[in-house]
Amino acid sequence: MKLDLIRIRYSLLISLFLICALMISAPVSAQDKFRLKPGAKGEICLKCHEPFKEKLKARFVHTPVKIGECSGCHNPHTSPQGKLLAAVSARICVSCHKNMVPENARSVHQIVVEGNCGQCHDPHASDNKAVLVKEGNELCFECHKDMADKVKTARFKHKPVNENCMNCHNPHASGTLEALLKDDLPALCIKCHKTDNPAFARQHMNYPVAGSRCNSCHDSHGSNKPVIIFEDVHAPVAEKKCNQCHEEAGSQSPLATKKKGVELCRGCHAEMVDAAFSKNRIHWPLLDEDGCLNCHSAHAAKQKKLLAGPVIFVCGKCHADTVKLQQISKNNPKNPGLCKPVKEGDCISCHSPHSSDHMLLTEKPSMSFDVCNKCHDWKSHSTHPVGAKIIDPRNKNLSVDCISCHRACGTGNKPAMSQFETVTETCIQCHKELERR
Amino acid sequence: MKGALINVFLIAAVLLSPVKAFSAGTVKYMNVMSIYSDEKGAGLKSPEGVACDESRVVIADTANHRLLQYKLEDRTLTEVAEIVMPQVTYPVLVKLNSKSEIFALDGRQRRIARLSREGVFKGYVEPAGLPSPEAYVPKSFEIDKEDNIYILDVFSERVIILNPEGAYQSQIKFPKGHGFFSGIAVDFKGNVLLIDSINARVYSSAKGSEGFATLTESMKEQMRFPTGLTTDNRGRIYLMDRNGSRIIVVGQDGSFLGQMSELGWKEGLLNYPSQMCVNANGEVFVADTNNNRVQVFILLK
Repeated sequence: MKLDLIRIRYSLLISLFLICALMISAPVSAQDKFRLKPGAKGEICLKCHEPFKEKLKARFVHTPVKIGECSGCHNPHTSPQGKLLAAVSARICVSCHKNMVPENARSVHQIVVEGNCGQCHDPHASDNKAVLVKEGNELCFECHKDMADKVKTARFKHKPVNENCMNCHNPHASGTLEALLKDDLPALCIKCHKTDNPAFARQHMNYPVAGSRCNSCHDSHGSNKPVIIFEDVHAPVAEKKCNQCHEEAGSQSPLATKKKGVELCRGCHAEMVDAAFSKNRIHWPLLDEDGCLNCHSAHAAKQKKLLAGPVIFVCGKCHADTVKLQQISKNNPKNPGLCKPVKEGDCISCHSPHSSDHMLLTEKPSMSFDVCNKCHDWKSHSTHPVGAKIIDPRNKNLSVDCISCHRACGTGNKPAMSQFETVTETCIQCHKELERR
Repeated sequence: MKGALINVFLIAAVLLSPVKAFSAGTVKYMNVMSIYSDEKGAGLKSPEGVACDESRVVIADTANHRLLQYKLEDRTLTEVAEIVMPQVTYPVLVKLNSKSEIFALDGRQRRIARLSREGVFKGYVEPAGLPSPEAYVPKSFEIDKEDNIYILDVFSERVIILNPEGAYQSQIKFPKGHGFFSGIAVDFKGNVLLIDSINARVYSSAKGSEGFATLTESMKEQMRFPTGLTTDNRGRIYLMDRNGSRIIVVGQDGSFLGQMSELGWKEGLLNYPSQMCVNANGEVFVADTNNNRVQVFILLK
């Protein structure tokens, strides 16, 4: 009796498991539910889709297509999806191609995130390996146009890059590394570049850089400077005076810097550092152990002034909340006349990145007339009374100025960089008599 | 006569100002008044600091380069004293100890000044016996109920603990994987709390412990860029979301309790709040920096 009960319980569990398995694998096994005649798989489709026969002559044919499993991806009768797809295209692909993205992957290709597999792969057939729609770098350069220009025009090229992006990058995702890299630096680089070569030591002033990140000086995608060093090079690096900042090459800790934080940079940039420290407010990261290196590269950089990336990227490392608003504002169709520095993500057009005497590290006394005036002639901007003598009715310690209505870094989905959703809402902040009750 | 006039003025201000009660989550509070000016009528300008106990309030009137001290009695502020001194020209944070001394962090010099109750400069807090004294940059500080001083040293990534006289006692290193710590608080149990502005996360170090652990997960959904925190005598933690212009309240266990106020210019609303304090009577003072005022709330629950 007890055994029977156990048996029934097991059979129920197995049935449940099978039902689940059937539901999960629905797109692939959809074939069965159409009860096709033996030998009819694919053949029926090709009776009408005759031009498709030509496609099947390609060198590489997607397996379901090859075996005539058209209904593995398409519903022959009806579908809410375009091209009678049995499900959203990404879900169809994932039903067979599992584990394309490792769990908790550090970096995932944007089109993979979006499930646009068809942007790179032809779901039916192609003359390229992995049924890619184009071969090699040409496929990547379709989207990565800036990179394409750079790779093609660089005076000094990096051979593996020109050969194939996939030499260094994974096309789908990277479990533990940024930028879809196949291996971490310098491991990736030393697969080709031998670090035990005496010339390598000589070129690096005998400093033991074999374990350092090569991309702190070299632009792996090519450069207009020899040894594919980044365009903007820190003077001591260009002059091969590593010991200006680091301990001597033969010392016990040759890669250690002679001083920490901003004090190291003060050695040459004393005037700039002293000017920054003479202000009321300092940008605090300047005062931690990394100091200037929070925003600048020590050796060489793609950006001018050795910035560690475009301004918006550098600022966004800490101020992601503000950059998020800026991004939404930038992409908001209600913001056609978006303030130029906001549109371009040029934070330092209004803010002093090192220090300032004013709140929010603005260059000028207030994040209003003084700053906005650089681009906007506010006197002709509006007939609304503004200025120091016009007291804000909401707060007697404030005068009416630009930021009474606008917000300087972007306001997300609100129009015209307004603090408020609508013009009416803006007006009735102060003009209570106009408020509809 | 002068004091009486100020009394009348301040009481009138409290009575005439619109009193509003708010509720957000389990935090109920009421805005009772705002401090806009000194007794001469000179308006506050970008005040970034405020400290209080049951009998007084000290404001760091930052852009006016001064401190203002008020006597607090029966929810009435009187006897305004202006403290202006060359040793503290840009106060950005202010605290009180149990002996009625005033401590102010000068943002320009990045030094903590110790003042008598009357506002006389007594000296800077120079941690005596501190390891690596050359690598020391105070970003924020706190004073516990025994008057020990806790300094957030952003250069050496540590919290320095000093005795009430300013002698070095111990240090706690920052935890791994942190962002940028802007504020420090010590709760009534002696636990040290830090706020990571970048990750909007609170870290805690139990009294006597040598390290920090996360108290909350990232609160990016609730906050934009918190820069300060304080606690009350019930153990609630108040997080100043400067960029988000609001105060987020969490419990001792890090659980979200609610939000106080939001961006705005009218009474009860905040614009870039910097520091707040809560006294034993449940009176809350908030340095409402970009609104050029200090707002006063009462906790109702």
